[in-house]
Amino acid sequence: MEEDIVDFALEHAKSKGIEYAEIRAQSQLQERLMLRNGILEAYMSAVDSGFCVRIIADGGIGFASTNKWTKEEAMEIVDLAFKYAKAARRKDKIIFAEEKGVKAKWVVDQKEKIEDVSPEDKIAKFVEIDKSLSSCGVNVAATMYSCSIDLTSKYFVNSEGSRISSFKPEMGAFIFVTVAEHGKTEQAYEQFGYSGGWEALDKWNITGKMIHDAKVLKDVIAKGKAIKHGNMDLICGPEVTGIAAHESCGHPMEADRILGREMSQAGRSFIYKGGPYWIGTRIGSDVVTVVDDPTIENSYGYYAYDDEGVKAKRRYLYKKGGINEFLHNRETAARLGTKSNASSRSVNYDREAIVRMANTFVLPGDMTEEELIEDVKYGVYMKSFTEWNIDDKRFNQRYVGREAYLIENGELKHPVARPIIETTTLKFWTAVDAVSKKVEFDAATCGKGDPSQGIPVYTGGPSIRLRGVYVI
Amino acid sequence: MNDILNKTEEIVENTKALGADEVIAKTTFGKYRQVRFSGNQVDINVAWNDYVTDLALAWRKRVVATQIRNFQNLAMNIKKLLELAKVSKENPMFGGFAKGNFHYPKSKADEKIRDLENPTDYVFEAIDAAEREAGYQIESGGILFTKFEDVYLASSEGPVGVDSRSAIEFSIRAFSEREASGHGVQCSSTLKNFKPVRAGMKAGEIARLAKNPKAGDEGLYDIIFDPLIFGSLLAVWASMASAFNVMVQLSVFVNKLDKKVAPEIVTLKDNPATYSLTNRVFDDEGVSTRENIFIDHGVLKTYLHNTSTAKMFKTETTGNAGLIVPTPWNIEMNPGEISKEELFKEIKRGLYLTNTWYTRFQNYAKGDFSTIPRDGIFLVEKGEIKQSLKDIRISDNVLSLLNNIAGISKERQHVHWWGEADPPSLSPYVLIKNVHITKSK
Repeated sequence: MEEDIVDFALEHAKSKGIEYAEIRAQSQLQERLMLRNGILEAYMSAVDSGFCVRIIADGGIGFASTNKWTKEEAMEIVDLAFKYAKAARRKDKIIFAEEKGVKAKWVVDQKEKIEDVSPEDKIAKFVEIDKSLSSCGVNVAATMYSCSIDLTSKYFVNSEGSRISSFKPEMGAFIFVTVAEHGKTEQAYEQFGYSGGWEALDKWNITGKMIHDAKVLKDVIAKGKAIKHGNMDLICGPEVTGIAAHESCGHPMEADRILGREMSQAGRSFIYKGGPYWIGTRIGSDVVTVVDDPTIENSYGYYAYDDEGVKAKRRYLYKKGGINEFLHNRETAARLGTKSNASSRSVNYDREAIVRMANTFVLPGDMTEEELIEDVKYGVYMKSFTEWNIDDKRFNQRYVGREAYLIENGELKHPVARPIIETTTLKFWTAVDAVSKKVEFDAATCGKGDPSQGIPVYTGGPSIRLRGVYVI
Repeated sequence: MNDILNKTEEIVENTKALGADEVIAKTTFGKYRQVRFSGNQVDINVAWNDYVTDLALAWRKRVVATQIRNFQNLAMNIKKLLELAKVSKENPMFGGFAKGNFHYPKSKADEKIRDLENPTDYVFEAIDAAEREAGYQIESGGILFTKFEDVYLASSEGPVGVDSRSAIEFSIRAFSEREASGHGVQCSSTLKNFKPVRAGMKAGEIARLAKNPKAGDEGLYDIIFDPLIFGSLLAVWASMASAFNVMVQLSVFVNKLDKKVAPEIVTLKDNPATYSLTNRVFDDEGVSTRENIFIDHGVLKTYLHNTSTAKMFKTETTGNAGLIVPTPWNIEMNPGEISKEELFKEIKRGLYLTNTWYTRFQNYAKGDFSTIPRDGIFLVEKGEIKQSLKDIRISDNVLSLLNNIAGISKERQHVHWWGEADPPSLSPYVLIKNVHITKSK
C-alpha cells in the first residue's frame, strides 16, 4: 500500500471545491480453499489492493475507486468522484454528522500467525475434518468446504484530519453436509468466523460440530416426528436467538433502511418516522435487550474504528423491550440529528461504506437452560435452524428447526422434524419470558448493498423462552 | 488491444516455462458506473476502474489460481503460484482445461455504454415516468448500472481470444404508500435497446394498483408470476443445473438426467446471447459459449459443465466454465402461445405476484423452500385484479413448482435484479397451479 499516493489523492481532492473528502485504501492478502467431498478443488491465493475516494460537493456524493497505484490514476478518480458528486443535483443536501479528526492505529494480534502455517497444513486440516466426518457412523452423501483467509491492511484519511491505519487477520469457513439414511436426505451447514490467527481452528472445533450435525440429521431422519400444529412454548437455542436478533432487530434498526436509502434492494423497516414504531416504542418484553457490539475481541465482526474513522462502541438496539438506538453512519446521523455510532462498514476499497451490523446478540439473563426447559409443559426446543427468511420491512419472519426436540412436562423427548415458527417481530420478542445466562455466537455473512457487500458478523445470544407461540 | 493480448499470452508462456502443465490467463479491463437513488434523489454516483488478470494453472492435477492486480511483481507472483501448486493436493477428478482452437464471433459490445459518463438523466426520466403512471407523488429508489469490459484470454491448451462485454441495467422500486410498491427493471447490452422509462412505468403502475393492501390468506393458489419474480425461480433452477451443485447435492436434479422434471410446455436454456447482460463469446476456459437446452419439453437433458465436470459425467463441456466451477450465464424460457391477458383469463381465483426476495432452502436436494413476495401482490378473480395484498410467503418445493407450470405467455422480458433474479434471464409470465401460501401467525 502506497500511503504517499493516498495522501496525494487527498490533497488533490482538498484543492477542489469540496465539502468533505476521504480516501480509503485497502490491501488484502487473500487465500481460498475449496474442497468437494474431501477433494481439494482449488487453492486460490491473491493480493487485492486499491483505494477509493468519496467526496461531498454541492450536497451530493461521488465515489470512485481503482486498483492502479499511480498519481495520475489518483488524480483521475478524484476528478471523477468530484464530477459525480456535483452530478447528483440533490434538493436535500447531504451533510455528515460532526466528528473530530482522529489519528489512530489498530491491529488484531494473531496467537498463531497465519503466515507461518504452510499451505500443506491448511489443506491437511480440512482433509482431516472430512475424514473424521466420513467415518463417524453416519452415511455422509456429500460435503463442501470453503475456507477464507484475509490479511487486511487499511489506511484511511479524510479532509477533517483523520489518519487511521489498521491490520486485521480474519479466518472464515463454511461447511455444507448432506446425510442420506433410509433413502432420505437431510442437510446442514455451519459457518465459522474469527478475527485473529490460525488458532481459530482450535477454537472452532469444526470436526466436533460437524459430526454432531451429521448425527442429528441421522436422528431426524430415523426418529423425527412432525409436531401437531398449535400454540405452545418454544425455546430457541443461541443459534436461533442469534438469527432472530440479526434479522428482526439488527436490520430494522439500520438508519439507512429507516430513512429509505435501501428501499429498492434490502428494503425498508417497520420503524419509520410517523409510524407506529419509533425510539421509545415497545417491541418486546422487559427481558429482551439486544445489542450490537463491534468491540468484542476476536469476533468475526470486530473493528476498532469504522470505515468513516469513528471509534467503535456497543449499541443498545432494543433495551428492556423498547426500541432504543439505531445503527448510524455519519450521513444518517446527520439526517436524524444525532451522532454516528460507528456502524459504517465496507467490504473492500471498491465499495462505499454503508450502515452495517457487527456482532448482534441478546444480552443474557440469570437462568440456566435447564431451568427454561423445566417450566415448559408442552413445547419445542429449537436448537438450530435450516431455512429462514424475513420480509423487507423486517416484520414477518420464519425459522425452520434443524435440531429440535419435543418438550413434555419439563423434559426433552424425541426429535421434532423441521418445526416452523412463522410470526411477526412484535409477537416474537413480546413472547419472550425468560433468558438463559450463557451467550454463544455464530458466524454469519450479512448481505446488503448493491453491488452486494457480504460482511462478516456474529449473531448470538443465550437460549430464550417464548410462551404460547404458534408452531407448525 | 493486441498488446494486452500479447501480455496475457506472455503470462501463459512464462508460467508454462516455469513448469506448469496447463495454464489459463484472462485479463479484464473493466469500467463500471452506477447511480444509486432513493426518495427520488441521487444518493451516490459511483465509478470503478478495475484491471485484473485471473490466472489458473494445473501441475500434476493440482489446481491453483490467483488474481494479479499488481503487475510489477508479476514474475514473482507466478513463481509463488507454481510453488503453491507443488505443495497443494491432487484433484483426481481434474479433467484438464479445455483443449482446441476455437473461432469466436466478433463481439457486438456497445461502445456507447463505455463512453456513457453521466447516466443520471436516465434516472430522472424513469422517476418521472413512474410518477406519471402512479398518478400522484411517489417515492422511488433503485440503481442504474453500466459495465464495459475488455477481456483477453489465453490458454496453454489452445484457446486464445478477445471479447468485449457491455451491459446497462436499471432497477426502480416505486412506493405509492408505505406498504404499496411496484418494481420495474430494464436490462440490455446496448444503449439503443435500453428503455428505463418502461421500468419506471411498470413500477408506477404496480405501485398504483398495490394501494390499500390487505393481509393475504393462507392456502393453495393458482399464481401468475410476473417475468421479474419468475426470473428468481429460473435462477434457482439454472443454478441447480450446474454440475458442481449436483455433485454437492445443492440441487433437486441429482440422478434426474433424461427424466421428466416439468410439463412438456417447459423448455429452459442457458444462453449468454448478444442481447443479454452476461453476453460473452467464450467461457473462462476459452470454450465458445453456446445455447444449451437443459430442460427440453420437460425432460432434464444435461447439466451445465466445464471440462472437468463434463469428464466426470462422460460428456462434453457446455461452455459454462467459471474460474473454478460451472455456472449458468443467462437463462431463457421458451415462450408459450398465449398472451399475458389470456393467461390471466385462466385464473378463476388466484394471485398475481410481481417480485420476491429471500429465497431460502430447508433442503436443496429435496427442494423444500420458502420465499417472500414483495411489491405488488394481487388477488385475481375471473382474470381481473380484485385486491392488493401483503404479508404472505410462498412455502413450497421448487420441483413441485416446476411440475405445476400450467401456462406460459408469448411475451418475455430480459430481467435481472440484485442477487435475487441473478443470473439474468429471458422470462415470460407464467401460470403455476396449486402453490402453497403461508403467513405469520
